[in-house]
Amino acid sequence: MLSTIPSSTSLTRRQFLRASSVALIGFGLSGCGWTLAEVRPATQPRGNKDELYIYTWSSYVDDPLLEDFATLTGIRVIPDIFNSNETMLASFQAGKGAIYSVIYPSDYKVAEMIEKGFLSELDSSRLIGLDNILPKFQNPVYDPGNRHSIPISWGTTGLLYDADTLNPGPEDWRYLWENQDKLDRRITLLDDVREVMGAALKSLGYSYNTTNPDEIRQAYEKLVKLKPAITAFTTDAWKERLLAGDLYLAMVYSADAVRLIKENPGLNLKYTVPKSGTSLWSDTMVIPKTAPNPDAAYAWINFMLQPAIAVDVTERLYFATPNQAAYDQLPAPLRDDRSLFPPNEIIEICERIIPVTPEATELYDQYWTKLTSS
Amino acid sequence: MSNPSLTNRAGTKVATFPKWLEPLVMLAPAGIWLSLLMVIPTLLIFQLSLVPGIRPGQVVNPSGLDNYFKIFQPGYLPVLGRSLFFSISSTALCLLLGFPVAYWIALMVPKRWQNLVLLGFVLPLWTSSLLRSYAWITILRPTGVINSLLKAIGIPPLDILNREPAVLIGMTYSLLPYMVLILYASLEKLDRRLLEAAADLGATPQQAFWKVTIPQAKSGIAAGSLLVFIACMGDFVNPELLGGASSMTVARLIYNQFLGATQNWGFGSALSMMLILIVSVAIALQVRYGDSSLRG
Repeated sequence: MLSTIPSSTSLTRRQFLRASSVALIGFGLSGCGWTLAEVRPATQPRGNKDELYIYTWSSYVDDPLLEDFATLTGIRVIPDIFNSNETMLASFQAGKGAIYSVIYPSDYKVAEMIEKGFLSELDSSRLIGLDNILPKFQNPVYDPGNRHSIPISWGTTGLLYDADTLNPGPEDWRYLWENQDKLDRRITLLDDVREVMGAALKSLGYSYNTTNPDEIRQAYEKLVKLKPAITAFTTDAWKERLLAGDLYLAMVYSADAVRLIKENPGLNLKYTVPKSGTSLWSDTMVIPKTAPNPDAAYAWINFMLQPAIAVDVTERLYFATPNQAAYDQLPAPLRDDRSLFPPNEIIEICERIIPVTPEATELYDQYWTKLTSS
Repeated sequence: MSNPSLTNRAGTKVATFPKWLEPLVMLAPAGIWLSLLMVIPTLLIFQLSLVPGIRPGQVVNPSGLDNYFKIFQPGYLPVLGRSLFFSISSTALCLLLGFPVAYWIALMVPKRWQNLVLLGFVLPLWTSSLLRSYAWITILRPTGVINSLLKAIGIPPLDILNREPAVLIGMTYSLLPYMVLILYASLEKLDRRLLEAAADLGATPQQAFWKVTIPQAKSGIAAGSLLVFIACMGDFVNPELLGGASSMTVARLIYNQFLGATQNWGFGSALSMMLILIVSVAIALQVRYGDSSLRG
């Protein structure tokens, strides 16, 4: 079958290799100075005024929301979904970014996007209802004064568990190590280097954002001890298995936990925010400088800032609103849900994950690779 | 294409390319396609691999082979080893499972049914590979399909999911159809008269199989194994979904460098070049030995 092909190609391949290796060396050493994944604004505004492309997490939009907005403003919203901040930024920088007028990055990515000059400064005179945002979200470290971003949702990272199997349930990260025998191959942790290493750091009394090599090593060694209990590192493949009873516990984001608990009232699932502190996250709405339709973007942000809309989406999609007026209008069971809205004393000991130096990033990656391959 | 010039209805000659340029016209689309979508991107990856620690938004300034040296640091070699283990094992499994099937279809199934049976084998490829991996989660998990069956007949449960066998099962399942197709193509041309001659001369069926059938199928075995091996090296869905807490492979590591928190595109590019190199070595072996086996 391949009798003629290899003999005819081996010759040309050899010639090709010879020619191209010369070309490669020249190419590799010359041609310096281009910028990797540069984002250029579209010179011609794309699309028309009645269309708004947004780039968001899957849990933040649904059809009723888009229909309400279309009825109110006549603007059709086309949402595109991403599943990690890194994917979002990579495709934004790869050139896909220029079609979006609203993007939903998380806190630390907002800081990175501001630093890279991708985000336009918001005109607060065009935004209605900014003072409804809870004071603790008015001046975040990642974007002082919310000059480039508006928080839309916030939450914690914690432990979701089956309270019938684990009783008493976990109250802190320490529980995982103390009950390791019981948890043998029954837990999953997030597939996220900083979250997992951070949890171990926090349980050792260190910061989520440490750059101290010794502390990072200790966290790695602590996680190695937990390996027999960890069946996988995954960000979303735990749901079905937790519901089926194959898993006893999963490290998850609060928004996912609350949604799963509400959707399965028959099961005794509980979510805990670890006592010694955890990571706190916010997702935001931003308008990139390259936005083709900033007017519609402002209309969308104003729409989402309306307390009635915020109440609506919190009830339907179960994400914690940072909107004081909306929070006050929520029905009591939701408002008092400590998984969704943890009390202030817990929030105070939580930390936001922020980007660390390239050297520390490298170190985290090395330990993570070792942890997931040994 | 054999006519150097064509005559239209009115009888006048229509100008065409000289004969020696005709192949170029035919080859141009593929050539442009290959250079735009393969040669140039590969060159760009190679260039990026020469920049240590480059992240999106930084200026590309090739400076050396640091990224390549990094691959040989202690933490990363086991990852390469695991990828090779998964790929070689899955290739062997595909060959073991695929050969009897291809043999059966090519030599024993009546001609008119062959295409239908082949179609049946290729059918799973019509669904998304992600979906197929998720299906294996449902089948293999502790309270899943297999363990429910085992429980019903009183056999203790198997804890396969999130272990290495699960990854091998997933990869083998995904790539078996390719192996069967290629083996079928080579077995179908098997010269049966040689088998009859072997029997006449007193060879047992086993001897005939090893000395007549296998040598004739050698190029198919090599081509099929190569294809499966290459696809396994690049697979990151099965290790990620079916593998456990220790299932880092080269493909997943590359993913982490580009789309994970690490954002080290330089190292990711060096790893990609490494992967291309490993695959090229496999292809070179195939070209060298797959070819000589036919001649010899």
